[in-house]
Amino acid sequence: MSMFDGLRFRNVSSPIHRIDPRAKFIYVCALFVAAVLFNQLIPLLILLLIQIPLVVMAKVVREWLRLIRGASFFAAIIFIMNVISLYFYGGYPSLASIIEHALAMTVRFIVLVESFSIFFLTTSPDMFGLSLEQIGVPYEFCFAFTTAIRFVPVLAEEAQTIIDAQRSRGLELEGGNIMRRIRNYIPILIPLIVNAIRRSLELAEAMESRAWGASKKRTNLYVLKMGSRDYCLIIVSILMVAASVYVWLFIKIPSITQILWP
Amino acid sequence: MAVIETSNLTYTYPFAEKPAFKDVNLKIERGEFVLLTGPSGCGKTTLCRCFNGLIPHFYGGNLEGEIVVAGLKPTEHPIYEMARHVGLVFQNPENQLFALTVEKDVAFGLENIGLPRDEIRRRVDWALKVTGIYDLKDRAPFELSGGQQQRVAIASVLAMQPEIIVLDEPTSFLDPLSAKSILEIIHRLNRDLEITVILVEHRLDLAARYADRVIIMDRGQIILDGEPRRVFLDERARLIGVGIPKVVRLYLMLMGDGIDLGRVPLSPEEISESIVEVLTSDRS
Repeated sequence: MSMFDGLRFRNVSSPIHRIDPRAKFIYVCALFVAAVLFNQLIPLLILLLIQIPLVVMAKVVREWLRLIRGASFFAAIIFIMNVISLYFYGGYPSLASIIEHALAMTVRFIVLVESFSIFFLTTSPDMFGLSLEQIGVPYEFCFAFTTAIRFVPVLAEEAQTIIDAQRSRGLELEGGNIMRRIRNYIPILIPLIVNAIRRSLELAEAMESRAWGASKKRTNLYVLKMGSRDYCLIIVSILMVAASVYVWLFIKIPSITQILWP
Repeated sequence: MAVIETSNLTYTYPFAEKPAFKDVNLKIERGEFVLLTGPSGCGKTTLCRCFNGLIPHFYGGNLEGEIVVAGLKPTEHPIYEMARHVGLVFQNPENQLFALTVEKDVAFGLENIGLPRDEIRRRVDWALKVTGIYDLKDRAPFELSGGQQQRVAIASVLAMQPEIIVLDEPTSFLDPLSAKSILEIIHRLNRDLEITVILVEHRLDLAARYADRVIIMDRGQIILDGEPRRVFLDERARLIGVGIPKVVRLYLMLMGDGIDLGRVPLSPEEISESIVEVLTSDRS
């Protein structure tokens, strides 16, 4: 659960939170492109570091660190897999350069996680749903999306209640091999699913009672408007992609190993 | 003028053998505060679902007899059309709020019927103020207490400006204090905004004082229907197992001991007043 906390929106006010989700999304995509373009450590480290001021500005440092900690397990796997495969198949001159390359791949992964987490930590799902709606995604899908997010904490709480109830009747969740452990969770999952179905029926009833589907042209309480700040971010993103492509095409990036041991 | 009228209304759920209620004849006047009560499974929730067309449109099944609500026949008009006239508040506050902020939730119905944005804004603010949750408008529903969530549910129904609000056990998930404040809000809607209220409720101790009329159902039929002070005295109400308000029981006990309080009380305030009256008149 702790890793997903890093993706859960918390409503705080900051300049980053106020940026239009569409602009933020373009920024995330630009970062994504840049991170995929490079496989050298130096540019990836730069991409990693330029985001830190954003995290601080958005006041989500704690959640963000938790997410990075959650991702570190996967990062370690990526690092080890890279070292092993490069050692046998890479044809790299020295162990140091192998490690540097593996490290670069790991940093790339963290940059991707980081950029998405900034997006989700600073964009209310409501706003995200709204931006989907405004770029023309049918309302039913946007509604399904925001409702799913709204019910995550509710279902998490319910799962905990069911676990407690089943445990108090003597259900053992720990112990045994993997198959045994999976089977242990069946008494948790069945009531959880049945409850979710029942809940969805009640929700449907409440939606119907509040004029769901009354009008083809549904209006919305909020409307997203792009401001100058949002256009700035989009321009910055485009420049970032252009600069990365330029560097990638015309500049040979030295590796740290080369700098240290020329 | 009757705002809800049914004659010989009978409904059977799909795959059910027996009807959920049978031959219900009901006439509810505009502006009335009706308290509907009875043991679980007596058909009161089912009856409520007929008022806005969830029955038969959502549930299917077999609805016989006549029903007219706010001049419309729920059988012939879609639920979304009925929703403008009849607001339904459900038992579990958690399962009737979908949005991620309170404000957005209250706006949900208005967005559905396609009102212009400034009109939505006006009505949302109004509904939030009437229910006293304007300060919570940017919070997420799951952060709120049960009582606050139920207020949001009431506000979102109220924003549609319906003529009738039907509340199906709105306090059953709440502690007594929040229940009391919810009932007070419902009372205000009825008194100040002249909205017809149909309240399904087991907590008669808290709700009785606000009702103009009490209807008691049992096994799919209306057993008693009338002025609360009269209905609660009826032997049948006690036998069905309806939780007669404690003040009425105290009244009856005193009556048994030969002390006549004059009128049947519906709230602790009323009975204490009558007792003081009796005591002072005894002394003089």
